[in-house]
Amino acid sequence: MYMNERLLEIFQRSRSGTYMTETEFDLRVAKRTQELVKAFEITFDPQMVCPSDDGMADRVFEAGVQLLVDVGAYHIDTGRVIPFTRSEIMGALRQAPDTLYLGEGQDMVIATHRDVEDPNPPLNLTGPAGQACSEEIYLANLISYAQEPYVHAIESGATLTYNGQDIVAGTLLEVKAVQRDSATAREAVRRVGKPGMHIGDCATGMTAIGKMAASEPINGLRPCDGRLVAQMCELKTNDDQLVRIPHLRNYGSHIINLMTPLTGGIGGGPQGVAVVSVAETLFGVLAYYATYHYLSITHIKWTNNSDPWGMYVLAMAGQALARNTHIVITDDPFNMCGPCTDELLYEVAGHSIIGSVCGYTQHGVGSTGGNLPDHHTGLEAGFQGEVGIAATKTGLTREQANEIALRLLPKYQDTFENPKRGKPFQEAYDLKTITPTQEWQDCYRRVKDELTKLGLEFEQGPYD
Amino acid sequence: MAKHTIPKEVAEKLVVALQKGEEANAVAATQAALEAGIEPLSLIQEVIVPTLTKVGEKFENLDIFLPELMAAGIAGTACSAVIEDFLMKQGASMEVAGTVVIGTVKGDIHDIGKNIVASLLKAHGYRVIDIGKDRPAKEFIEAAERSKADVIAASALMSITRAGCREVADLLREVGLKDKYPLIVGGGSLDQAYADEIGADGYSPTAAGAVDLVHSLMRDK
Repeated sequence: MYMNERLLEIFQRSRSGTYMTETEFDLRVAKRTQELVKAFEITFDPQMVCPSDDGMADRVFEAGVQLLVDVGAYHIDTGRVIPFTRSEIMGALRQAPDTLYLGEGQDMVIATHRDVEDPNPPLNLTGPAGQACSEEIYLANLISYAQEPYVHAIESGATLTYNGQDIVAGTLLEVKAVQRDSATAREAVRRVGKPGMHIGDCATGMTAIGKMAASEPINGLRPCDGRLVAQMCELKTNDDQLVRIPHLRNYGSHIINLMTPLTGGIGGGPQGVAVVSVAETLFGVLAYYATYHYLSITHIKWTNNSDPWGMYVLAMAGQALARNTHIVITDDPFNMCGPCTDELLYEVAGHSIIGSVCGYTQHGVGSTGGNLPDHHTGLEAGFQGEVGIAATKTGLTREQANEIALRLLPKYQDTFENPKRGKPFQEAYDLKTITPTQEWQDCYRRVKDELTKLGLEFEQGPYD
Repeated sequence: MAKHTIPKEVAEKLVVALQKGEEANAVAATQAALEAGIEPLSLIQEVIVPTLTKVGEKFENLDIFLPELMAAGIAGTACSAVIEDFLMKQGASMEVAGTVVIGTVKGDIHDIGKNIVASLLKAHGYRVIDIGKDRPAKEFIEAAERSKADVIAASALMSITRAGCREVADLLREVGLKDKYPLIVGGGSLDQAYADEIGADGYSPTAAGAVDLVHSLMRDK
């Protein structure tokens, strides 16, 4: 099916598909996922957070395809299920891009599909990852990301206020805030001398109106930038998400399929969530025309993915998609601890190592479970990029990645019930020079030393 | 005459059905128990509430996942409906621990957290009026008035939707119902400081904490 025809067909199906309540759909997804986990013999061993089983990776892919065929996707506004056939899924996958040109001019980077244990290092498309930011320090915060040598694109945070007033979704205040924040992101990349750097999204915009308000080729987001189109947990969409697609395609923008599958949620345990993650990626290929995919695995209790379940889902969904498709997939580490703690960097490292060997381009980083405003800085994002490059250049296998990840887990896992939230950007950086404080730089060096002892070969970093 | 002591095999059937989230079996077990003359209140207090509370605890400890919690909640609600119907036929009414109006605020379509809190509240014997997601402030208040609620619970996940909680708090004050309906708030974009700023009566970062908050507000009533 050709692209325009497919978009219109999805609209029709969202109006004519089988009607059911949202709860009925949730339970249907849950039941079928567990059946497929069993039928495809997908197993989880807490000592194998990054399995090296090609056969199982392929089975996770097949189970993901089957799940989407069997349950479809739910349209929340109409209560209809949008069905897909296997041949439609495979046809859309064939049409999906394997190479992306992100940004423009001298600052453009080329993201290509990555294989399992790919020798080419991953790009690092990063930023505050949609976390809450204060408007007063937003520009400085974004500069802290854009200036990092191992950062190739920035994605924005979500500011809380506009001129001191709470931003209200779907109102003119959201549009005003999006206009301001996309211009702020543009200013941040200009200030660090990378005016053409790819800007992944303007996360202050939550509704379609907000997202579309960022489209402005001089001061806002350009066609070489991107915007998120999200899925609701699990395999759900609505008109507010779908309406963005014709706009973004017409504008020529990158479309980023945002998924936040919940471990312990509708997909159940990690095996089921790996299957759901594959199905959601395929839905993003089919319905969202995504140029790249953003997997943000979320633990139902802690809202992180640095735990063994999150690592396993990352590893298995990544390998499944790397081995069976040619698309570009990204992942973000979402962590419990915050800036100025060693624990945050260990959480980032474990995720980055697994992501790098399992076919991902990097995205992120989330800190404090995404709960505390301003608890995110450029340092941990740049560090993620460094670790990804080190893991690739060291030539880590999945077995080695598993071994290192298991050795990193005890360094932070005990903090989950009482996380070290660290310090906000305003205290972790000198705001005049936009430089990490000595304390934060010391954490960076300590953790890098430890990772070096575990076998990672680093290049010169910004705070060595 | 209604029996206060529940035979072990009757209780066990209902417990198993609730734990497994088997709605039809749970309803059948409830009907059988009522037909056998078991006192409805005993059935609720000694079997349904403790079982669903245990299911909630298992979810909190991650021994089970969200679908199991949802299925148990659905089965529990179906059993309550059977009991309520039975009592109405007898001209009596069912006692509940309290009534909570719950919803996700305007602009926010994320409702998993809200659904978990609703399930846990039901498990603890509350009547829950779930108004859904993306709901404007006035709907919280209208629902509270209609259902004679004891507490309003508003949830917001996204940072730019948390203002919806403020709108509920402001409207409650404006229409003079602030003291009648205590407001609790929760969700990823909120914290205690914001809850204090908007004048909410409680905030919890966890679903179990939200239930404790409601308990405490009910005690103060």
